[in-house]
Amino acid sequence: MTLTAFSPPPPGTDFDDLRQEVRTFLAEELADFPPEKRAKSWNGFSRDFSRKLAQRGWVGMTFPKEYGGHARNALERYVVSEELLAAGAPVISHWIADRQSGPLILAKGTDDQKRRIVPRIAAGELCFCIGMSEPDSGSDLAATRTMATEVEGGFRINGTKVWTTYAHVADYMILFCRTGKSDDRHGGMSQFLVDLKATDNIQITPIIDLSGEHHFNQVVFDDTFLPSDALLGEKGEGWSQVMSELAFERSGPERFLSSFALIEELIRLLRDDATEAQQAEIGRLSAHLMVLRQMSRSVAGMLNEGENPSLQAAIVKDLGALFEKDIPRLARSLVSRPAVPGGSDSYAAVLAYTELAVPSFSLRGGTREILRGIIARGLGLR
Amino acid sequence: MESMIHDMAERLFRDHVTHRMREDAASGQCPEALWTQIEEAGLTMALVPEDAGGFGVPPAEALGLLRIAGAHGLPLPLAETLIANAVLATANMALPGGRLTIAEGEALRLEQRGKRVHASGHLTLVPFARWASLIVTIAVLDGTDHVLSLPVKVLNVAPAQDLAGMPRDDIKLDHTLAETDAVPLPRPMGGMRQLGALIRSLAAAGAMETILEMSIQYANDRVQFGRPIGKFQAIQHNLATMAGETAASRTAAEMAAGSYDTPAFALTVAAAKARAGEAAEKVGALAHQIHGAIGYTQEHALHHFTKRIWGWRDDFGTELDWTRELGRAALSSPHDTFWHFITDSAAKGAPA
Ligand SMILES: Cc1cc2nc3c(=O)[nH]c(=O)nc-3n(C[C@H](O)[C@H](O)[C@H](O)COP(=O)(O)OP(=O)(O)OC[C@H]3O[C@@H](n4cnc5c(N)ncnc54)[C@H](O)[C@@H]3O)c2cc1C
Repeated sequence: MTLTAFSPPPPGTDFDDLRQEVRTFLAEELADFPPEKRAKSWNGFSRDFSRKLAQRGWVGMTFPKEYGGHARNALERYVVSEELLAAGAPVISHWIADRQSGPLILAKGTDDQKRRIVPRIAAGELCFCIGMSEPDSGSDLAATRTMATEVEGGFRINGTKVWTTYAHVADYMILFCRTGKSDDRHGGMSQFLVDLKATDNIQITPIIDLSGEHHFNQVVFDDTFLPSDALLGEKGEGWSQVMSELAFERSGPERFLSSFALIEELIRLLRDDATEAQQAEIGRLSAHLMVLRQMSRSVAGMLNEGENPSLQAAIVKDLGALFEKDIPRLARSLVSRPAVPGGSDSYAAVLAYTELAVPSFSLRGGTREILRGIIARGLGLR
Repeated sequence: MESMIHDMAERLFRDHVTHRMREDAASGQCPEALWTQIEEAGLTMALVPEDAGGFGVPPAEALGLLRIAGAHGLPLPLAETLIANAVLATANMALPGGRLTIAEGEALRLEQRGKRVHASGHLTLVPFARWASLIVTIAVLDGTDHVLSLPVKVLNVAPAQDLAGMPRDDIKLDHTLAETDAVPLPRPMGGMRQLGALIRSLAAAGAMETILEMSIQYANDRVQFGRPIGKFQAIQHNLATMAGETAASRTAAEMAAGSYDTPAFALTVAAAKARAGEAAEKVGALAHQIHGAIGYTQEHALHHFTKRIWGWRDDFGTELDWTRELGRAALSSPHDTFWHFITDSAAKGAPA
């Protein structure tokens, strides 16, 4: 069965030297970065950190050199990504651009778009956000209502995007919207590159998440004018462009390492005298992690070969979310220590943060139910 | 992966392994004719180095045969013979041909008696011992792994079976072995428990793929409420869950097979066997749920596969044995962080 076969990552792709370099860098940069901040995982924001990382050549690693990238392969990028996540480094400022927006612009953008934007992504200067979800269009992305109407010299945009992570600080949004009324549910969609800092008539309002943090937003377009060269890719091809982004979005190590700070805290507590039952649970966790990592690296290998492993990516994300969501339960079953938000005991603080974060893990990037539907279709059902 | 030996095995098993053959085997009848064909095709020698008579295919490819055998519910000790031959060849011992099997030798007591070795102890759950000419095991004498080759005809074999009705025999050992039947292993290969866990992980991955395929087929064919049950989202999501578990098991088993004969093997095989055992429970349960009552009969083929994956959980260490082992390694590792353990020891072997 091809769907259940994850070809092993190519041999010789451990890149130990690179891994050591990244570890040394992180040990210095994050020397005073406390566990409760590390617990934010890839939701932590620091432009400064992203820029420093870029100076080391670790942003836009897979981009071509002519666009400021480093022409390295997806498995080298993988090593850097997982080391950043395992350390709980604050990466969101460049993460989305590095993971999907940059590759999208490189694949579909005009030469001018590539030259203007991609080198600045690789320099760690640009933060991107994703404008897909709307109040009435979540899982059902094809129900998107936001409309771009062609006018002299460009487009006028009207509509509302929601849950847009870091829109309030981002430089650009990749906007997914309608450019035509089509009988085909998937037709008439397009993507735009929206310069959030230089465009008028965009209103960004904070939405506070249940943990009290402001990271996502509502973004209202009110007759917003975008010049013609904001169109990204072909007009009307937005749907297939979005679908090809998803393999990048869904298969990476951020789909199973979001609770990693809690795992490290837990193991620190158990290290010295674990019972056999505790050992067994840590062993089970280790087995799952080893296997997820292998599957995720396998998908990186396929992406490197230019394949589109979107079904395998859906499997990684579904299994990964089950794993990372389960960590607080596991911790509670092994250690009796109350969760205290912001508490001085780092285990208690990290547990509290993670308990409040996990509900989102099987929503963002495609809900569990939607992923399972995609997998089922890949199995030949429906 | 394109592989000539995989294609050959696939054809051979597809043409010859039948529901009837698996039934007969479960009631004690060894499918001799098929065994002859397997041996003539050379499959039992696939893991043996080329200079000792193998084909010189990479170990991961040779071991891939066992996933295919698992996918067909092959009721013969191909996996055991493959490993036994590889171990005998590594110790430069004679390869007798025919059906062989392996047993966990970790609990055996060996003592030197003159030039010969005396072995005592209890071998339990030895797969297919009744159908084999030799039991090959690895046990420790004076701190060195020794390969023992135990001729079944001189042993007292007490028959028992696994959940699928396949022989799992019991043997009390108190025997002085011929000089040529106890030989030090020139380099470590992992114990028989590890090698056994590897073959069961691979076979279970293959069997789960078959179970998944049968379940998809059934969901597309069986009509209730005027439509195929595969149209119901609850059924679709169960199949998606089965696909995830199956993919994880196959990846885990192939990761272990890929590290055969390397320092990473001890931990990857622990992960593979533990992961396969956990998946077997979920995949089996969901497959039966999807098949309804017909799947709960002797007549339907599903049980040949679900009983095998459940039974294999108990061969060569249960999930609990292997997760404890892995957990102990993680919690006592010299690394500063758990992450370093995962990327370094678990992926590449413990530091020397
Ligand atoms: C932390 C976080 C960050 C996010 N960041 C972004 C972002 O930056 N940009 C962006 O565009 N979006 C973002 N999202 C939105 C995310 O993509 C959506 O939440 C997701 O697609 C689901 O949409 P919804 O929330 O409207 O839920 P709905 O689609 O309304 O779903 C509600 C429930 O119904 C289920 N459901 C829906 N349809 C089906 C079906 N056909 N079959 C079975 N069950 C179904 C869902 O699985 C879910 O359980 C973010 C979400 C979160 C939680």
